[in-house]
Amino acid sequence: MKTIDAAALADIPGLIRCEEFDREALAEHITEMTHTVYPHEQVYGRYCTVHAHIDCPPEKVFAYMANPYSLMEWTYSVRDLVPTMQSGVLRGVDSGQTPIYCRTVTNQEALTVDYHCAWDQGDELWMVYLNRIVPAETVLKTPGSVVIWTNCRHPYYEKNPFPALNHDPDREWVGDWWPLFYAGHSIELQNLKAILEYRHRSGLPLGPRLREVST
Amino acid sequence: MTAQEVSLLGVASYLPEKVVTNDFFAPGASLRRGMFTAPTSRRHVARDESAAEMIEHASARLFEQLGSKAVSEVDLLFTNVSVPDQAFTGCGAEVAYKIGVRPRRIIDLHNSGCVAFIYMLDLARELLSSGSARAALLCNVQNAAGRIFSDPGIRGKSQAPVPGDGCGVGYVALGSASPILSLVQHCQPEYASDMVACADDGRRYWEPGTSPLSIRFTETRVASIIERGNRIVPQVVSEACRAAGLRAQDIELLITNQPNPIFLRNWREALELSKERHHDTFDQYGNLFGAAIPINLEDALAHGKLPHGGIVALGGFSHAGDYAAAAILRWGSP
Repeated sequence: MKTIDAAALADIPGLIRCEEFDREALAEHITEMTHTVYPHEQVYGRYCTVHAHIDCPPEKVFAYMANPYSLMEWTYSVRDLVPTMQSGVLRGVDSGQTPIYCRTVTNQEALTVDYHCAWDQGDELWMVYLNRIVPAETVLKTPGSVVIWTNCRHPYYEKNPFPALNHDPDREWVGDWWPLFYAGHSIELQNLKAILEYRHRSGLPLGPRLREVST
Repeated sequence: MTAQEVSLLGVASYLPEKVVTNDFFAPGASLRRGMFTAPTSRRHVARDESAAEMIEHASARLFEQLGSKAVSEVDLLFTNVSVPDQAFTGCGAEVAYKIGVRPRRIIDLHNSGCVAFIYMLDLARELLSSGSARAALLCNVQNAAGRIFSDPGIRGKSQAPVPGDGCGVGYVALGSASPILSLVQHCQPEYASDMVACADDGRRYWEPGTSPLSIRFTETRVASIIERGNRIVPQVVSEACRAAGLRAQDIELLITNQPNPIFLRNWREALELSKERHHDTFDQYGNLFGAAIPINLEDALAHGKLPHGGIVALGGFSHAGDYAAAAILRWGSP
């Protein structure tokens, strides 16, 4: 049996642990914390997490998401991805004619697929979409996968750090849409779910279905 | 005016004289937060103060406003008392005798707890609009604070500082002065057994013993009762608004029961109403159970919350959620 060195925590303010906070004190605290409704800004203002159950095995969901070309199927507007001179970085278009750069960072053992992206340039990939695929059998006792997608509000969302790279005066900055990201991410996650469930249910290859076109 | 319109013409209250401050309870009572947030003060009934007398005092104030003709037209008398004066019968007949009315029907209710005022309003509306009565007197008494929670064996418990005693009465009659625009009720009997009266020694309340009686929620249900309470009141008030063709934002004055400041906060947040539009007396009087709605309505009017009349929403839930109800009224100009 291991025990902790209580002195190591003594100087850290703000901890809520049963030694100092009995159940009654905890009950008071959690009751105050629990509201009926929460303002959208409070829930999605700094972090935007969306989740979905996908009726498709986790390893297959991982394989599909780990292939960055799948983004051309399930995202609303990322298209025309091609390799760049930078290893592992693809360039495509988003939101009309905006160049988008994307590096896909995966960990098969952990079932994580992170898309590190940016508009206009590929040197600083600051729009980071963190995805974790969890076996639904483990967490929901049901077949399939749970996909948890989190986006954090990087300061560049507030202001385009490279305005000189934008050649479209009518373009709205991606960060201006942050208040609508819950809806936008949810729509794309539903696309992902619909594609994977349809193909898995129908016994089809999961894709992405790509074909070569001459450029 | 349509013949069927029914109005709440007035409310009045009576608060027992005895003011009880937090030093009466367990040390640190005033520091409690959450569900057991203690009000600064509350009233306790005296040992010999009957529910009937409390109603008599409140009714006297009500009839000062409404006049003697109103007294003579009371054909319906409703009472709801949290700890009845007698074990076998309600106090309605005694009240009628004390205030000098001879109603055709006396209804002593022992259900619908903290929303009994709305429940009685609904019954009164039905009976009045059928033409079988001219006016109804609705009487709510909360006397559990003095009768139960002041006991030396109970007052040290965390819930003891929360209740407070008081009486609120309302007068309902046909007419369009302050009409009821809508009234919505939900009976959720599956929650009826989540609140229990119990004694520490396990005796039934009618069995002899020395262990004091208390009222509590069944332990395992507290979290779900909080969730339920948070949700059902905004829901039923919103439904009543829709039934009246209004939006929640049209509510100029929201009056609810007042179990604790957390529920009050959560309800107005969910309805997107400011604190100014949601009048309560929790800090002064504590949890007034069913008497809260008429007492708070009178207090709001006395504080000039509706100088020119306007849309009033009454709402709340009872016990552990077995009833939820809301009514929308268009309060007339004074």
